[in-house]
Amino acid sequence: MVALCIANSNMAFLLERLQQYGDVHGPVRGDDGVVRFAALTPGVLPDLSAVRTLLSPKKYLLHPLETILTYTELSGYQVPLEEPRHLILFGLHPCDLAGISYLDRIFLGDDPDPLYATRRSALTLIGVTCSPDEFCSCQISPSPLEAASDMFLSSVDDGFAVTSTSSRGAELLAGVKELLVERDGDLPEDTRFFFGRATSIQERPDPDPALPEWQEYAEHCLGCGACSLCCPTCSCFDVLEFGALDGGSAERVRRWDNCLFKSHAQVAGGMSFRKNRAERFRYRYHHKYRGFGPLQGIPACVGCGRCRVACPTGLDLRPLAEQLEGGGS
Amino acid sequence: MNNSLPLPATVLAIRSLSVDTSLITLRTESNHPVSAAFLPGQFLELSLPGFGEVPISYCGLPSSDGAVELCIRHVGHVTTPLKDAHPGDVLAVRGPFGRGFPLSTYFGQALLLIAGGLGLAPLRSLLLALLKQRDSFGRIIVLYGARETGALLFADELLEMKKRGGIELQLAVDHHDQCLDGPPGCRVALLPALLDQLAVDPERTFASICGPPVVYPYLVSGLRQLGLGNVQIHLSLERRMKCGIGRCGHCAVGNRLCCIDGPVFSAEELAGIEGGFV
Repeated sequence: MVALCIANSNMAFLLERLQQYGDVHGPVRGDDGVVRFAALTPGVLPDLSAVRTLLSPKKYLLHPLETILTYTELSGYQVPLEEPRHLILFGLHPCDLAGISYLDRIFLGDDPDPLYATRRSALTLIGVTCSPDEFCSCQISPSPLEAASDMFLSSVDDGFAVTSTSSRGAELLAGVKELLVERDGDLPEDTRFFFGRATSIQERPDPDPALPEWQEYAEHCLGCGACSLCCPTCSCFDVLEFGALDGGSAERVRRWDNCLFKSHAQVAGGMSFRKNRAERFRYRYHHKYRGFGPLQGIPACVGCGRCRVACPTGLDLRPLAEQLEGGGS
Repeated sequence: MNNSLPLPATVLAIRSLSVDTSLITLRTESNHPVSAAFLPGQFLELSLPGFGEVPISYCGLPSSDGAVELCIRHVGHVTTPLKDAHPGDVLAVRGPFGRGFPLSTYFGQALLLIAGGLGLAPLRSLLLALLKQRDSFGRIIVLYGARETGALLFADELLEMKKRGGIELQLAVDHHDQCLDGPPGCRVALLPALLDQLAVDPERTFASICGPPVVYPYLVSGLRQLGLGNVQIHLSLERRMKCGIGRCGHCAVGNRLCCIDGPVFSAEELAGIEGGFV
């Protein structure tokens, strides 16, 4: 099979060419050794061998803190206008692509979220193959979520085979064609195939709250919420409003929230619907492995392993998931 | 339809119902679903500019002139400053959201409405809807309990409905010393105890409940003893519902989201669900 390939030595030129289509961001290893999604400006090359970034690319679609409505006495509440800014995310692993397709299911659809939809429509996704490490679980839990991208890079000797998987991807591919060479050979199997295979999980009764494991896990959980912060599919948000001192205008913001925090289930008057840590821990588990509402039956875990790396006490949900969901089913 | 954008709503009237609770009547756009097309038990998101937004159950009936009645207890970060609202003030609303009481299922049936405290708010909406087509339903029994007589909401209205023969009514308060100045027929009893001497036709009765979560397990077991099945019992749940459209992630009950699959659930749906009744 003939594949279009980019040589590693041409990578800088490829990125330069892509910058003509929009800002290009990818995984960059900082001086502190931490890999983050950041701007790939001239001279800054992506670290395509890094297994994962600290935060997931959800930060581009849902900002940690953002204004969702403005209020003035004259115009009432208004959705703030945001100029769509073309952004190319380069070097996304299949798990992060699946994470974005999960967020799409929540924030797009019949009544799309205005901010999310604006940013999403201006986003081009370029995926890359990866080699899962001991923290990853994409290979053991098939997901109904697809790892969809516009372009995809599959690792071959000294470079990557490049394929386009959307019309936007085809347009980009045509624009960079002279940097690519045709090569014979089969494409390597890539981790995209871990995604989109299952239709949905089979219906099961809710996990038994009386299992001693909940308490054991909860006793190790500090409730710090680091796992939710870095998770590609944790998208709970709190909504706050700030009135201006003039008394006639206000801003409503949404802020990443965390189901491991006590305030997450609190209502007016102080009543909480998840008073203890085991209940909150179970809530998070439920979302990651069972799904809620319209997404019930679709596990939210894409197996990126960020939560295991971030957890200060090294909690690993996989053994519990294998016990409750059945390994590999 | 953009469900994210609150519509302006002007305060028409505000009436004190108890020391901490008011009935606020708003007027918003005519013939908009938020005021004209909701089911009792559904809710809207009410904004007070500069303070924020909270989910509030509808307390009245749909209207074509944009009027909306809301029963508000002034305890939260938005509802406390609402105590100082005046006619003419501009608030904002979006909705309707969620799943209300299954009115069409109730046709031809007897109804047992059980409310605790502020839980009367959505049940008043249901009661008004039932009385509007009184002949379509069998007995309508209202059991209503509150901490003290001063906390009984709409007591005059309920007594008037009883006087006209539309409903059977039992009122109760928790504390003995508070009952003497109460409305006629008011007893000292906890809400579930009102079921003890009740006789209903279990084949043809549905129960609709809204009250403090702590009484739900007792009410459900009392109703089961009366012979009602889980599918005949509907409960309205309270949860932290920030967005109303299934996105903010706070209000899951088991696999379901309170804001779109609820807030009204049948006891059948909640059976075995952790936190369903608590």
